[in-house]
Amino acid sequence: MTSDTPGREHHGDLGRRGFLRGAAVGVGAVGAVAGGATALTAATASASAPAAPKAAAAPFHGAHQAGITQPVQSASVTVSFDVTAADRRELTELLHTLTERARFLTTGGTPPTVGITDSPSDSGTLGPQVPADGLTATVGVGASLFDGRYGLADRKPLRLTTMPEFPDDDLQPAWCHGDLSLQLSAPHTDTVLHALRDIARHTRGGLQVRWRMDGFSSPSRPSGTPRNHLGFKDGTANPDVADPAVANRLLWAGGGGEPAWTAGGSYQVVRLIRMLVEFWDRVSITEQERMFGRNRDTGAPLDGVHEFDTPKFAQDPMGDVIPLDSHIRMANPRTAATDDSRILRRAYNYDRGMDSNGNLDMGLVFVCYQQDVERQFAAVQKRLAGEPLVDYVAPFGGGYFFALPGVKDRSDWYGSALLA
Amino acid sequence: MSAEPEPEPAADPAEEGGAPPEMPPAAPGPSGGRRLNLRDWRVTATAAAVVVAVTAGVVAITATGHHGGDRADPAASATPAYTGLPHTAIDVSPSTCGKGWGANGKPHTGTQVFDLHNSGASATEVYLTDPKTGKFYAEVEGLAPGTVREMPVELGSGTYAFECQQEDTDSVTGPTVTVPGNVPQGPASRPVTVHDLIPPTLDYQKWIRARMTELSADTGRLKKDIDGGDLAAARRDWLAGHLVYERMGAAYDTFGDADGVINGTVQLDVDPAHAAGFTGFHAIEYGLWHGRSAASLRGQAATLDNAARKLQKDWATQQMDPANMGLRAHEIIENSEQFELTARTDYGSGTNLATAAANIDGSREILDELAPLLKDRDPGLARLQATLDDAQAYLRTFDKGGTWTPVGKLTRAQREKVDAYFGDMLEQLAPVAAICDVRRTT
Ligand code: HEM
Repeated sequence: MTSDTPGREHHGDLGRRGFLRGAAVGVGAVGAVAGGATALTAATASASAPAAPKAAAAPFHGAHQAGITQPVQSASVTVSFDVTAADRRELTELLHTLTERARFLTTGGTPPTVGITDSPSDSGTLGPQVPADGLTATVGVGASLFDGRYGLADRKPLRLTTMPEFPDDDLQPAWCHGDLSLQLSAPHTDTVLHALRDIARHTRGGLQVRWRMDGFSSPSRPSGTPRNHLGFKDGTANPDVADPAVANRLLWAGGGGEPAWTAGGSYQVVRLIRMLVEFWDRVSITEQERMFGRNRDTGAPLDGVHEFDTPKFAQDPMGDVIPLDSHIRMANPRTAATDDSRILRRAYNYDRGMDSNGNLDMGLVFVCYQQDVERQFAAVQKRLAGEPLVDYVAPFGGGYFFALPGVKDRSDWYGSALLA
Repeated sequence: MSAEPEPEPAADPAEEGGAPPEMPPAAPGPSGGRRLNLRDWRVTATAAAVVVAVTAGVVAITATGHHGGDRADPAASATPAYTGLPHTAIDVSPSTCGKGWGANGKPHTGTQVFDLHNSGASATEVYLTDPKTGKFYAEVEGLAPGTVREMPVELGSGTYAFECQQEDTDSVTGPTVTVPGNVPQGPASRPVTVHDLIPPTLDYQKWIRARMTELSADTGRLKKDIDGGDLAAARRDWLAGHLVYERMGAAYDTFGDADGVINGTVQLDVDPAHAAGFTGFHAIEYGLWHGRSAASLRGQAATLDNAARKLQKDWATQQMDPANMGLRAHEIIENSEQFELTARTDYGSGTNLATAAANIDGSREILDELAPLLKDRDPGLARLQATLDDAQAYLRTFDKGGTWTPVGKLTRAQREKVDAYFGDMLEQLAPVAAICDVRRTT
């Protein structure tokens, strides 16, 4: 690559440690691979707009990060890292490198050639030229990043804490928290894994994976929102964040006493929730449906016919049709008082082999975004305490993160305002 | 390590850029120990030839039916691997080396692809060089006759020429082409030849000889401790001796079966207490840290000591393959990450971090020997050397008067820091191996 390649960082002398691989950026050749990328783009599942047939690739640059308002995609990996960068300077370099890699990977192009000076700059798992393939990268920061190490203590987002243990949780420390979260989503698994491998390769000295969970979203079966491992459509009811008024009220942080740098970001909650699918399969369909308050076949609320019918709780005050302790009714009672606790959910299914007792190890990578983690996620989670569903699921990991504001343009980088 | 090995089996090592006549290569073959030698240069050069025929030709080889002398123009039928980029067809037979560039097209900067067509009678290496500096900007190895392969490059402004090294023929340099403008040139390096590598290899062999003297002194001491029934002293001297051995990482390959006798391990489903043929440091380690009596370890101590002495004696006549030097600097740390940071080789002493620190010594020694070559070839050398030092200093914080923190007892933060250091070292060592890959230049 030539040293005047736009966007390429000159790390120069980083001092004591090397800690990052030379972050050479490939030649942006979107046009060159656009054909391939288009061909590879498949219909994607949808969280907020399930009817949308094909999602256009989200642009990397913007006021907000990609991967938040876009529909969920077929493949994802959710990773939590601990930052091993030695100091604030190295953290800054790290975030530059992360930005460059994400920009290249989500844009696509020809990886830089290295001649005889290095092993190949790209793993080649997507072929000689990297297709963007609808890849999105979403980066968040955890409360631990704001401890003493990087001098950021006074910049912590107001509501960012270490994820507390909720009453029905069974948290495993090895699967919780972290300094930095990264979610990669794409229509294909190879695209997501290629990106993860590339990012890890370029950041080994500064980031170490704390935990990682791969997730997928299924095709519509037979129509509508994809289903989770319990057989129910998951992602039906979400606030319409395409409406800026809704997004500004429920999704984007900023204002209200938040540090100025947070504008355009959003609180990200990740919950790793094991599902006891064998147990679930031994539960009658009536009981299953009453637990959620929805019909399993259609996804319709039990008082409706179609998936997107609105449940009318007010007309069923005793819960004769939709039980008062059903998941949807407790999660969102649909009252004026609970309206501002709504969250934007983007869940993926996970599947990771077998448990020690011979059962399938499957579950949900529950991810949601909101303006205020206390007012929204935590409030919903508390309302759900003790719901009948808790016998069949066990939250064991995850964390609270703050999804950074978007990378605005080619000269911007993740966390530029945070570290300014 | 080159991505494209020679197309023909390495019948003659000298042909392969291997050892020159005055320095025959060490006998090939597995070391018998745990070292996998995954990237053994001689082994891959031979074994991978098959792979080239089947897959690595990517497009062109498939299109023309393997290595044969099929002279039908394959470019016509091949699907380009790189699309949306400017392509220039270049002929690379000895008589036409570099033909097709400059004369009819306009040389230009930026990302582009040369479609190299070998119209000659035998396989050829092709390099894109700057004739003024002798630096190589790109290479294609083992381009079979009658085939076309794509060479993607990012060209800055400057002078370039193709160099074609056909088998059994003198190297031919094509016409010099000037790429106009003032775009900086991409990464390049002057090639390393076998001759460049001989002095550092000889120096390294000398260094190994000194380690062997240390080693046999240590194994002698260990034997004396065990014979005398002093197990506390034995544990101390075991560690000293083992670390000396672990510093010699780049030489294991040359040791032949001795490595297995001295430092072998057993498979995971085998009980080390009853493993037939399990000898050496790890067998003794198992005994010393599992309450075995001194008397029961006497035979093992003698076996190890004898093997160390024999190794020392044999070393006088052994010769290392210079072509392996760069690879070894890198592989030592790969092995360290794979076997030490996972505690796979722990038989009770919990000293994997000590071993890892000793492995860093080994890698550093080779780098020091190679430094004169790397100085103006690898701009990251100083940074790499500093990383090795920092990583080692950090590992040493886990040494409490000869008792090391076992890998499994590291806190999460410590573990992550160790992993970060190793990941960082390895990424920086990869270029060393690439740059020191021997290129035949005549
Ligand atoms: C394994 C655990 C979970 C499963 C299987 C599950 C499943 C479902 C299903 C099937 C629906 C109905 C369809 C839909 O609107 O998407 C739903 C809705 C919902 N869930 Fe969950 N969920 C789980 C965990 C959670 C958690 C941890 C929260 C938040 C704390 C949550 C909050 C919600 C909300 C807010 C709705 C929408 C309610 C509405 O607006 O009608 N869920 N969930």
